[in-house]
This record gives sequence, structure tokens and C-alpha cells, in this order.
Amino acid sequence: MQPTSSMNEEFLKKWQMGLQIFRPSIDNTSVHERKKAIKLSADVAMASLRKGTTCWSRALIEKTATEDNFLVRQMLSGIKAETLINKKLPKKTVCHRKIVRRSKKILRRKSKSASEEAAAKAKRLVKRRTQGLRNVVPGGELMSNDVLLLQETLDYIVSLQTQVNVMRSIVDAAEAEIER
Amino acid sequence: MSNRRSRQSSSAPRISDNQMIDLVSKLRQILPEIGQRRRSDKASASKVLQETCNYIRNLNREVDNLSERLSQLLESVDEDSPEAAVIRSLLM
Repeated sequence: MQPTSSMNEEFLKKWQMGLQIFRPSIDNTSVHERKKAIKLSADVAMASLRKGTTCWSRALIEKTATEDNFLVRQMLSGIKAETLINKKLPKKTVCHRKIVRRSKKILRRKSKSASEEAAAKAKRLVKRRTQGLRNVVPGGELMSNDVLLLQETLDYIVSLQTQVNVMRSIVDAAEAEIER
Repeated sequence: MSNRRSRQSSSAPRISDNQMIDLVSKLRQILPEIGQRRRSDKASASKVLQETCNYIRNLNREVDNLSERLSQLLESVDEDSPEAAVIRSLLM
């Protein structure tokens, strides 16, 4: 499972269209503002690859729209993806504390063998690590189960790799041209 | 008072566990090489998840760095120079 060349091409096309729309924010501005515009357009291009089918991409569209609603809407319009702005995110799951507490009480009553204790410890460690994933994957806090979280994580990584590959190629080509 | 908890099928946790194992295996394949000694499956799963978090953070940091670099490139090139034309043709 790796980024495909067609993914790279599609990302580049969308990103270029986004940069054209963002151009007023890129010309005649500070390095810092230009960087923000470049990154924002790259994130929108990456998220739009998934056409609203994944939770992480919907969450990323929402996040970028929070940063600059006008430009993001313009870019989505330019790349024919206006509908992405309205894709809904799942509601946050409410945890029933009473049930959890009761379950923990029941669990504590049992005495465990050494191997059972080791397995329980490993399981708790995995749980903590999945919580870490929720923090770094867009919309991770909203995913209701660990299987969905890992599926979204896999897809997000492939998309991030696409973004990095294309951006790095542009930087390398530009720097090579300057040195000529 | 009705029992609000639905009874869980005995096969459900096993199916979910198998899915998790499969997904962790796929994550392992997509990550850069993990040069760690192999331990139990659960501890290994934990290591894979930790490496995944680190990898995602690294990729995001790289996007940030590349954005900054592109911004600087556009800044340093004179508006009418051939270099500016090349960069803009690549980007826009």
C-alpha cells in the first residue's frame, strides 16, 4: 500500500489549481503568509483526493476552512469539490461512566494468573497508543472504534506520503533550476 | 428497569481482534524500517502504533518545512527573472 503515480499527479493538479486561486495571497506578501497559503492549499488538495469518503479528509477540510473559510471555499469550487465543505462529521461518542465504573469493579474482583496479567498490561499499552493516534490523525477523536481508526490512519499516511513526495519534487526541481 | 447493555456476541471480540492484527500488520509494512527486536505480538503492536504516531508527526513536519522552503524560493527570485518563471510554471 503505497502512493500511486496517479495519486501524485492528481494531487499536483489540484494543488496547482489551488495555488492559482491563492495567488493573491502568495504574491506581494511576507514569507510567513506565503508559507501558510502554500501549506493550506496543499492540505486542501490532499484532503480532496478522498472526495469526502474518509473521516480524516472531512475533518481536515473543516480544519482548513476554520483557518481561512473564503480561500478554502474558493479552492474547493475551483477544483469542483464544493460539496466537501458540507460533509458532516460523526458526533463525538459519549462515554457512559457508570457502566465503565461498574465494569472495572467487576474486573477487579477476579484474580489473574501471571500470563493473564501480562496480557492485560499489554492491552492497556496498546490502548494508550491508539489514543496517541487519535491525537495525530485529523478527526481521530471522532472515530468510534479502533478498527476504523487504524483504517483511517493507513489511508491518511498514504495521502501524507503523496503530499510530501510531490512537494519535495517541486522544491528539488526549483532549487536545481536556480543553481544552473 | 430494563437492561441497557446489549449482550455481546462471543465471536465479536475475536473478529475485531483479527481485524486489528491485520491492520497493525499493514501499518508495519507502510512505516519506515523498525529496527527493534521482536517481542510479544501485543508489545510489538504497541511499538508499531507508537512508530506510526512518530511517523505521522514527521511527515507533517516535513510538509511544514517544504512549505517554508517554497515560500523562501519565491521570495528570493526576482519577479522577472527566468528562475521566477520556472518556479511559477512548476507551481502555478
